[in-house]
Amino acid sequence: MSELTMQDAKSIIEDQIETLKKRNKEPEWVTELRYKGLKAFLEAPHSDPILNDPLDFIVQDEQIPEIHNLNELPEDMKKLLDSLGIAEVEKKYVAGIAVQSDTSMVLNDFMKAWREKGLVMVSMEDAVREFPAVKEKFMKMFNPYESKLAAYHTAVWNGGVFLHVKSGLKVPVPMHLFFIIQNSAMAQAPHIIIDAEPGSYIHLIEGCTSPVLVRHSLHLDMTEAYIGNGAKVMLSVLQNWPEYVHTRPMTRAIVGKKAEFINTTVGLGTGRSNIANPRYFVDANGYAEMNGILLGNKDFYVDIGGEIELVGEGARGINTSKSVLMDESKVITRGLIKAKAPKTKGHISCDALILNSKAKMETYPGLISEVDDAELSHEAAIGKIREEELFYLMSRGLKEEEATQLIVKGFVDPLLKDIPAEFVIEIRKIIEMSLGGM
Amino acid sequence: MNKLLRLENLKVFVENREILSGVNLEVNSGEFHVLMGQNGSGKSTLALTIMGHPGYRVEGVMEYKGEDLKSLFVDERARRGIFLAFQHPAEIEGVRIIDYARLVLEKVRSVPREKSYDMVVEKGREVNLNEEELKRYINVGFSGGERKRIELLLALLLEPDLVILDEPDSGVDVDSLSLISKKLHEMQRSGKSVLLITHYGRILQHVEPSEVKVHVMRKGKIVLSGHRDLVRKIEEQGFDSLFKECGCDE
Ligand SMILES: Nc1ncnc2c1ncn2[C@@H]1O[C@H](COP(=O)(O)OP(=O)(O)OP(=O)(O)O)[C@@H](O)[C@H]1O
Ligand SMILES: [Mg+2]
Repeated sequence: MSELTMQDAKSIIEDQIETLKKRNKEPEWVTELRYKGLKAFLEAPHSDPILNDPLDFIVQDEQIPEIHNLNELPEDMKKLLDSLGIAEVEKKYVAGIAVQSDTSMVLNDFMKAWREKGLVMVSMEDAVREFPAVKEKFMKMFNPYESKLAAYHTAVWNGGVFLHVKSGLKVPVPMHLFFIIQNSAMAQAPHIIIDAEPGSYIHLIEGCTSPVLVRHSLHLDMTEAYIGNGAKVMLSVLQNWPEYVHTRPMTRAIVGKKAEFINTTVGLGTGRSNIANPRYFVDANGYAEMNGILLGNKDFYVDIGGEIELVGEGARGINTSKSVLMDESKVITRGLIKAKAPKTKGHISCDALILNSKAKMETYPGLISEVDDAELSHEAAIGKIREEELFYLMSRGLKEEEATQLIVKGFVDPLLKDIPAEFVIEIRKIIEMSLGGM
Repeated sequence: MNKLLRLENLKVFVENREILSGVNLEVNSGEFHVLMGQNGSGKSTLALTIMGHPGYRVEGVMEYKGEDLKSLFVDERARRGIFLAFQHPAEIEGVRIIDYARLVLEKVRSVPREKSYDMVVEKGREVNLNEEELKRYINVGFSGGERKRIELLLALLLEPDLVILDEPDSGVDVDSLSLISKKLHEMQRSGKSVLLITHYGRILQHVEPSEVKVHVMRKGKIVLSGHRDLVRKIEEQGFDSLFKECGCDE
């Protein structure tokens, strides 16, 4: 239990809002929204099964440094970026990268040419100052009164990006964005807006990690994706949080007519607890894919919802998850597909591989049809590694551990099709490492 | 001649049901043995027992290069040079043939990673598996005959001392059959020991006939042994009449 009272929290958050306001020189509507968030924080319900007391995460902060380029990053953070292969990624992709440290955003050289063609990727702080259009998109899919955590995000959001792709522009290389928690004091609460105009294409890769050993870090990101008619957006999220980070990602997307949204989340380290309930709304003939790979170890607790509402005729949605459970981890999946328009199709599939008898998996697929010609289905398979497979692989000389790693990597392989090769290599390495100590 | 495999009064039980009832067999290095017998007579069980399948209770003598095999796990037996091409190999979703083959080469034969890719592709070509096919998941969606060639590929890559092949010719077309037979002949010539389980003599078309030893299994025992002409006899008159003739049918 926190020693703070609600009144203490209120004044701390007020201080944080004032600091952010001054630091960011933000327009009035932003500050007003923050105060609306604060008000909601005091009134909104709190129903998180793991974080009993949201006040635990509210800490007086000394100062929030703003960092403008990669060279200003502390030495250990640069090393971390290197070890994550970011330098490599940067060399390889012309599209450039963005790195977010605790609360501020670092953008490196962005391709000027792409800016001219109509691709905007700027820190959210800059975006609210420089792009009036952001006001129409910011916090339009969420209501701060939904929960205390949504309200807290609204009040103290910091960092994140605004990504805008001009009508018809197709960006051929993936864009990379990395979040790093360094200081535990302030919740990391980036706000991300993806605004893909009709007929455009973009692939955004988010990587998350935390290098410094601090207790009770909370990552509270919010993503709003607007996918115009006929546009295609791919969002790949790689999470590698250590065991002291709690994450509560909030994602919503509006998928336009004939548009596509492919979202793959790879949770290699999902943090001590990770509770998410993304919601997508899919218009006529649109298509949304919500894919999740979850690697549960230690006593991690992961509860992943995922609602797809098929609101336009002919809309389709797929929710696929593959979980690997080790140690005493617990994973719950609750995919939900609502068919609200004729000729819609939805499918939920949930597979889990359980490697330790103390690990627990629960799945609650939900299918709701409000029309009579929707096609909705689900399948689930939860089990252990099959003896025959292990015997086959070992019969050519692989040790049990090596064979198990192959099977686990193979189990998740079908969902890695959109992830760039160097990340797939990284992902496989992490799987090997976590299985190594079995 | 070097003694490679020695089985003496080998018995195998599954949940107290006796499946092998005292098998005696010796395979010396460089020898080519053929094992035949009716469906359900215990041929695959014998192969899996030698390989180390964990589902059996084993009694009797089972030695390989003078070492007791019974206390070794399947992977340890493989690393000592025993290979089994399965009658029904497992399907492994998500694991590509090429990745598996390269990992095995690296871990078991210490082939450096930068060499293994070409090695697998080259050997793949020898058994009519192209690069595209090698990038597919192990046995998933492959036809019966293709699976047999995947098994053969792994045997060729690993260069084991004792190759056990469990019906590598079942469901295989004429051309592949000839290919497999040629590969068996190559193994024979390069001094490997082969234990071939089959129902048909045709697989031996390219194998040196004078060196072939043939065994017939019946109800979990080897009841008859002979030479190449025993295969012809079985194909002509069938097992039942053969067993009557030799008085081994009680
Ligand atoms: N795990 C098991 N549980 C129960 N019975 C088994 C098991 N394994 C084998 N058997 C039985 O043992 C007998 C021998 O089976 P095996 O597969 O060795 O025959 P086979 O000679 O290889 O036949 P085929 O020519 O049809 O391949 C059969 O009756 C089979 O049903
Ligand atoms: Mg058999």
